[in-house]
Amino acid sequence: MFGKRYTIVITGYLLALFLIFPQSAYAMHIMEGFLPISWAGFWMALILPFLFFGIRSIQSSLQSNPSLKMLLGLAGAFAFVLSALKIPSVTGSCSHPTGVGLGAILFGPTAMTVLGSIVLIFQAVLLAHGGLTTLGANTFSMAVIGPFVSYGIYKALQKLGAPLWLCVFLAAALGDLATYVTTAFQLALAFPAQNGGFLASFAKFMGVFAVTQIPLAISEGLLTVVVFNVLAAYNKHELQELSVLSGEVRA
Amino acid sequence: MFSIDQYAYSNRMRAVHPGERFAFAILTMVICLAFPSTVTQLAILLLMAGVVILWAGIPFRFYLKLMSLPFSFLVVGVVTIAVSLSRNPEPTLQGITVWGVTIGVTDQDLRVAVELFFKSLGAVSCLYFLSLTTPVLEIIAVLKKLRIPVLFIELMSLVYRFIFVLMETADRIYTAQSSRCGYATIKNSYLSMGQLASNLFIKSYHRSRMLFTALESRCYTGELKVLEPHYTVSKVNILIIVVIDLALVVLALNTGGGFVG
Repeated sequence: MFGKRYTIVITGYLLALFLIFPQSAYAMHIMEGFLPISWAGFWMALILPFLFFGIRSIQSSLQSNPSLKMLLGLAGAFAFVLSALKIPSVTGSCSHPTGVGLGAILFGPTAMTVLGSIVLIFQAVLLAHGGLTTLGANTFSMAVIGPFVSYGIYKALQKLGAPLWLCVFLAAALGDLATYVTTAFQLALAFPAQNGGFLASFAKFMGVFAVTQIPLAISEGLLTVVVFNVLAAYNKHELQELSVLSGEVRA
Repeated sequence: MFSIDQYAYSNRMRAVHPGERFAFAILTMVICLAFPSTVTQLAILLLMAGVVILWAGIPFRFYLKLMSLPFSFLVVGVVTIAVSLSRNPEPTLQGITVWGVTIGVTDQDLRVAVELFFKSLGAVSCLYFLSLTTPVLEIIAVLKKLRIPVLFIELMSLVYRFIFVLMETADRIYTAQSSRCGYATIKNSYLSMGQLASNLFIKSYHRSRMLFTALESRCYTGELKVLEPHYTVSKVNILIIVVIDLALVVLALNTGGGFVG
C-alpha cells in the first residue's frame, strides 16, 4: 500500500522535473519570499560592502571620465535586454542569456555588481522574475560571484596565452555555473534536509538545477564567443575605449 | 512592451502617494515572511489580490497569468525540499527503495515545503501589488527619499529609460533577422543572436556618447535633475495601512505562534 502511494510521489517528482521546467529556462533567480527572513537579511547585508565599493570605484572613474555614467546606464539596460532575449539551448529548448560573463569582461566585476543589482531590481519589478526580499541573495550569486569568477578566469587564461575564444567561452560558461552553484548553496543553507542536513540538501538542489543550468551555461558560453568575435572584428576601437572601465580589454 | 509597466501607469491607484503604496507592500511582505502562520499568508494573498483587482482595476485574468509565472521555480523548489534521496535512510524517511536508494519524504521536510509554498505566494502577491500599482519612476523617487546613494539612483533611472529604447532596437533587429531565415537552424540562431547582441552593444555605446554630448551642450555638470510630481500624503490611508498590518500581525500571533526569523 505504501509502495503504491510513493510511486505516485516519484512519478509526480519526475513530471515536475521534466514538464514543469518551462520550455524557456531563465537564469535561476530565487523567487520572492522563498528565503526565510533571516537569510534574506544576511545576504542583503553581505552585498552592501560590494555595492559600496562598486559605487566608490565608479565614482572615482567618473572624476576623470564623466561620460562613463551614461555608458554604465546603457550597459545596465543592455544587460537587461540581453536577459530578455531567447537563445536556442543545446538541449532543444530555449534559454535566456544572463550576460554575466560578457558584462564582467567588458565592464569589470566591480561595476557589474552595481549594474547587476539594478538589473535584478528591474527584473523583479518589470518581469516578475526574482524578488525584492531575495535581492541580496540573487545579487550575491549573479552580480558578485558570477562576474568575479568570469573575470578571474578570463584574466588567468589570457595570462596563460590561451586563444581568445577559449578565454571567453570558459569565462562565460564557468561564470554561469558558479552562479548556479552559489544559488544551490544559498538554498541548501536556508533549507537543510532533515536527514543529511546541508550536504544532502545541497546535492538535491545541484542535481535539480543542473538539468537547466548546464545547457544554459554552454549556450551562454557559445553566444558570448560569437558576440566577442563580432566585436573584435568590427569594433576594436570601441573595445579599446572601454578599457577605462575594466582596466584593460584586449581583443 | 512590458504589461506590468503599462498597468503600473494606467491603474486606478495612481493618485495614492507612492510612499504609502511602497510602505504597505514592504511592511506586509515582512509580516508575511516573519511569521510562520499559513493562515496569515493566505490572508495576505487574498488581501493583495483583492486590492490589486478591485481597487487598482487590474484584470483578473492578467493577475492569474502573472501569479502563474513563478510557479515553475516554486514547484521545483518546494518539491526538491520535500523529497529526499538516501542510501542508508533514517527511520524518519518514508518512501520506496529502488536499487538501494530510498526516495521519500520526511514529516519535517514536508511541513517546511508546504509552509514555504504559501509563504512565497503571499510575498509574491505583495511584490505584484507594488509593481502593478507603482511605476518604476515613483519607486525610484521613494528610494531617493530613503537616502539611497545618488549615483545608484541616477544609474537606475538611466537604465530604466534605456531598457525601452534598446528593447525596441533589439525587437527590430530580431524581426529583420528572422524574416531572412536568421533563426532557421540552431547554428544560424547562434550567429544571428551574436550579431544582434554585439550590434546592440555598439548601438548602446554610441547612444551613450550622443546622450553625453547632448547633456553637455545643455550645461550638464554631473547631476541629472528632474522634476517630481507632487503627491499629497493622506492620513486616512496611513491609518488604513497601520490598521490592516496590525490586524495581520495579531492574526499571525494567534494562529502561527511566535516570531520566527
